[in-house]
Amino acid sequence: MSERVYLLPLWIRLWHWTSALLIITLTITGVSLHFADPKLPLVEFSLAARIHDLAGLALVAAYGFFVIANIVSGNWWQYVPKPPGVLDRCMKQARWYLWGIFKGEPHPYPVTLEVNFNAMQALIYWFIMYLMMPTLLITGLIFMFPQFAPDRVFDMDGLLPVAVLHYLTGTVIVLFMIAHMYLGTTGHTVTTMFKTMITGWHEH
Amino acid sequence: MRVSGYRYLIALLLIGWGCPALAASDAPVDQTTIEMNRKANEACYACHSAAGIAKPPKADIDMSKLKDSRLEPMVYNPSDHGVMDCRECHSKTHYTDYPHAEAGKRETVGCTDCHAAKVLRLEPQFNASVHAKVQGVKEKFTCFTCHNPHINIVQKRLKDPAKIVAQDNHGCLECHNSSEMFAKFAPEGEKTPGLKKARPDIDTIHDWLPNAKAHWQSVRCIECHTPAVAENKMLSHEILDKEKSEKKCLSCHSANSTLKARLYRHMVKDEQQKYGFTNSVLLSNSYIIGATRHPLLDSIIIALVIATLLGVLLHGAIRIVMSLRRKKEESQ
Repeated sequence: MSERVYLLPLWIRLWHWTSALLIITLTITGVSLHFADPKLPLVEFSLAARIHDLAGLALVAAYGFFVIANIVSGNWWQYVPKPPGVLDRCMKQARWYLWGIFKGEPHPYPVTLEVNFNAMQALIYWFIMYLMMPTLLITGLIFMFPQFAPDRVFDMDGLLPVAVLHYLTGTVIVLFMIAHMYLGTTGHTVTTMFKTMITGWHEH
Repeated sequence: MRVSGYRYLIALLLIGWGCPALAASDAPVDQTTIEMNRKANEACYACHSAAGIAKPPKADIDMSKLKDSRLEPMVYNPSDHGVMDCRECHSKTHYTDYPHAEAGKRETVGCTDCHAAKVLRLEPQFNASVHAKVQGVKEKFTCFTCHNPHINIVQKRLKDPAKIVAQDNHGCLECHNSSEMFAKFAPEGEKTPGLKKARPDIDTIHDWLPNAKAHWQSVRCIECHTPAVAENKMLSHEILDKEKSEKKCLSCHSANSTLKARLYRHMVKDEQQKYGFTNSVLLSNSYIIGATRHPLLDSIIIALVIATLLGVLLHGAIRIVMSLRRKKEESQ
């Protein structure tokens, strides 16, 4: 009989699934816009542009909610990797992903109410949520209101560095999303972690 | 663009016989002639400028009549016609008396007198244009309606795409964004007999276009409101109505952007894939989603996404295989 612990409050789950849907929408429309080509039948350009704008604004709102709720609830502390031994714990976690998981070894750092994330997870989530997401959203907003972009950079349109940064951070988020969805299958069973994110109850 | 057949013929014959005064030429005008012409034009500016109106050279002239014929040397001189003596077009014989005789206005030289060959080529295009198809409108149109000969500068001389956009869109928006000007040309409305057709609101009719205002600052109305154009060819003078105009975003927003043959036609020969970007001449003025590409960066990013997908698939496959092996071992 496995143990259960109520890990994720409703606001985190709602924010997570809202963001997930928005990021998937933004990925599809973003690819349609950046790789626009008559031979590549993705979402029609003007429709993709409108959806991308709306979903982008919704993601800004969702992120704002996340930051405020994190501060109010104290959840932000979960994203801070606590020394000492952060690197050692990361190495141990990486070894498990690359070897231990295949041998059926248990998670080296099981989830607890006090510590939701292993050190590697905390570091990556911190990088994604506090570096990549703000950069992606700010560059997206400048893209939407180009009057705030620099006029000229390197004798080219000043929107260029904004656009390139948006593209690169967007790619990092997409790569994270692929890995994140896959690692969601590495719980007690393949579906355990997905159920946790729906019900809030974590199963050991 | 009213050009009668006999004027065509005369103009073509004059060009054929090598009449340089009446044939527009791309040859540069020598500096002495320019200075002589500009000196001669000073006599005109003495009245036909803001300074002239403020301080008339003669006391007994009604300067209020000049409000629509005012020009500044700093505007006229850089224009395509700015090297010319005003009297080349405005009659040498009727502008010696003050106030000038009415005949001067009637005898102003038309565009065809110099640009006959071009007009001959463009007239069929204009005749197919929305401006020529509506009853009663064609007759009101001349070259001046869209092209101001005192101000306009040709694309390859103006160079800066932002300035080209501002100049050319002004020609369209002067009427299409002003109900007063629109009414001067508008036919009778289909639903409003006896009344002029109301000017459609420019924002409303473009509401299908995302970021319409950003488009108007970055591209010309004619990018979409003229038919497809071949490389190195001049844009058509056939102005298309909303039904026929370009609505496919990918015409501009793709690697093979038609803007290269339109707004950036004069710059395409300078394309050097600067910093590795495709369409870098477009990027010199505007980042255009879909058209601004960096093939190397795109390839790296696509490779990273594929590698990540393959990585998780491989990881998952090994997990499944190892799990099956463990189960088999346990059952044994």
